[in-house]
Amino acid sequence: MSMKAIIGSALVAATALTAAPAAIAEEVTVKLWSRADRAGPLRAGNIVAAADTLNEMLKAAGYDKTVKVELIETNAKGFDADALDLLKAHSVGQGPDIAVAAHEWIGSFVEAGFAANLEGHIASVSDMYADIIPSLWTSVSYKGERYGVPQDSEIRMFFYNNDKLRELGKSEEFIAGLPAAVNSGEFTLYDVCDLAGEAVEKGVAEQGLLHRPNVGPDFQMLMASFGIEMYNQDEAKLQVSASKLEEYFGWLNYCVGKKAIPADMTSWDWSSVHNAFRGDKTALIKFHGIWHGNNQLKAWGLELSDKEGYFDKITWTNAPSASKGGEPSNMSHPIVYVVNEQSEVKDVAAMLVALASQHVPNTRHAVTTNHTPIAYGQTAMPEFVEKGWLQIAGTPLLQYAQFMPNHSKIGQYNAITFQGVQAVETGEMGPEEAAEFVLDELQAELGDDVIILD
Amino acid sequence: MHSSLQSASKRRQVSNAALFMGPAILLLLLFFIAPIILNIFVAFSDMHQTIEFREFTTKQFGKLFKADDDALLGFSLRYAFNKALVLSAIYVFFTLLFFNVGFGLILAITTTSIPERLGTFYRAVWLLPRMSPSVVYALLWHWTITPTEAGLFNQILIYAGLEPINLKLNHPMLLIILANGFIGASMGMIIFTSAIRSIPKHLFYAANVDGAGPLSIIRFVILPALRWPLSYITVYQTLALLVSFEYIWLLMGPSRSTMTLAMLAFTKSLAPDIGGGQYAYGAAISLILIIIGIIAALGLWRLTNMKKLLQAPKIEVQ
Repeated sequence: MSMKAIIGSALVAATALTAAPAAIAEEVTVKLWSRADRAGPLRAGNIVAAADTLNEMLKAAGYDKTVKVELIETNAKGFDADALDLLKAHSVGQGPDIAVAAHEWIGSFVEAGFAANLEGHIASVSDMYADIIPSLWTSVSYKGERYGVPQDSEIRMFFYNNDKLRELGKSEEFIAGLPAAVNSGEFTLYDVCDLAGEAVEKGVAEQGLLHRPNVGPDFQMLMASFGIEMYNQDEAKLQVSASKLEEYFGWLNYCVGKKAIPADMTSWDWSSVHNAFRGDKTALIKFHGIWHGNNQLKAWGLELSDKEGYFDKITWTNAPSASKGGEPSNMSHPIVYVVNEQSEVKDVAAMLVALASQHVPNTRHAVTTNHTPIAYGQTAMPEFVEKGWLQIAGTPLLQYAQFMPNHSKIGQYNAITFQGVQAVETGEMGPEEAAEFVLDELQAELGDDVIILD
Repeated sequence: MHSSLQSASKRRQVSNAALFMGPAILLLLLFFIAPIILNIFVAFSDMHQTIEFREFTTKQFGKLFKADDDALLGFSLRYAFNKALVLSAIYVFFTLLFFNVGFGLILAITTTSIPERLGTFYRAVWLLPRMSPSVVYALLWHWTITPTEAGLFNQILIYAGLEPINLKLNHPMLLIILANGFIGASMGMIIFTSAIRSIPKHLFYAANVDGAGPLSIIRFVILPALRWPLSYITVYQTLALLVSFEYIWLLMGPSRSTMTLAMLAFTKSLAPDIGGGQYAYGAAISLILIIIGIIAALGLWRLTNMKKLLQAPKIEVQ
């Protein structure tokens, strides 16, 4: 390299460096943390789009500042692993300005000093949040204050393969009456396993009832059907009832005994579960969530708009009650936006969240990923009416919905109770022993954070 | 003059030592000693979810042991910890006995007693599991043991007129012992083969002339020469198996039926989706693993009389 060239490049570098602070001063960078998730690319995408809207507003007001969103896309396997990564990043000062997370982590985020209290922000632009479905705010509240904004919501259900029910000799009246029978408490969890066991025994199905193979929110629905309330609001602690837990494990034992639930269900992988219900169609009932709707339509060879065709093939119910006449249960597991308490651009970040939570961007996410809306008005939007019929059909199920407790140890609580599920299903322990084991582990690991009832 | 020469030579010795040993010592400190010290610190803290050291506490050990007046030492083991200990013992003992040492030895003896090319070929075949990426290896196992009639293993059973089986559900420990064993056997095989190769040929000729059969040759010529490699492989593989969980995780996930100590430490601290994030709890379990490892190594050292075996081989003078 010649001397001229060296001097030349040094000059260019020096000019770039002196020019840099001016460029930085005009551009506000907001770091957004989101896991790469095919179930919701617009969770991050809507924040990026919100920055464009905000920039137009700033331009109109004559400001020369612009807002740029820097996306930190993580590859964590699930929301729990992602939240732990986020907390690690936060504890070494590398936390983002906005994070997309599962709502039950709010408690941990507040305790760790990550989640900002958004009460002031929500009040300052109250019109932008006025239409949000009030119950969804519960999912972002911790000790009575709001620390996040709901990004979406969903409904979970038992999916029944109608063709298999017909093959089993069930009448159209029986099939059509299932949702109502579940809601009235006439058709219980034990009836589900009798039905599923019958289908397996008669060779109509290879598997009767499939539940999720790993730790997750669905089990809370089943526990709720047994009357287990996992959270004590007054004391802000987790709780479990010993006798009801044993009853719940007893039901699992009953179902495995009937061959309704496969004994090795907890060592399956997700793809096998999905494949058994909609691919090979070997299962009678699957217990998961509404976001599978589109894939089910495709698997049954139906048009995405074919509501009638869909409900001819599949029936939905809430999780039935455990006892005759009891109330069914459901659960919604919202994903939320959280703003970093220590962010230097906290207010800008909160504004981006507000813009991304408006009807149009949120509907774009909801209808493409089968999630239920966060605002009442969305259901009236033509796009929702046309493409969101699945969600509208599922909305009545929300009547029985509850949320996971926003407690920092809920992940551990779920992991331990899942150990009990696995122990019972694989035949390692009886219901009584499993309940005893789970209570012992809960007390050992969670200590004062859990209350054990009767 | 003399003393300055002496001090110069001493300096050179020190600088030479630093130059030659320095990098090794630094690596040892950074990657072996520092993690153990760090682990001890974390084990006696309440570190969870965030990586902040909040307080000094022994409460992690309360998750493993509980006070019990009826017990001999005044405490008993909690269920999960007790089970992990038993499963670890079963896993290490049987993998070691049947594969890492036992099968490695059989492979070494058989492949050295057949024509060399054939022997090399068989040894190369047994090295394949170790050479294939762990995820690919685990995937092949998954396909082989699929509990339905589509699984390769079950197809063989059905062909033989037997009932299909579900290894993951009914014999999970057998599965992880087999999967780890097929990989572990190759290490012993290589070490034992090289030891057999180093036995002077004339001893075999002499044994043959004396009328020794194959079993007598193994018993009186080969095995005495293998005592030291046998001890080495036993100690080394015991320690390796105690802390290994990679294939258990890949094959069984966080299943209770194969929750060894190493798996328990992993699931409580780092594993996704199964209540991870309890870093201090995981570190406490790891600390116990370290202590068990030290005791096992020293015990086996003593049991196999390694000190004596480390001296010059006696085979030449026998």
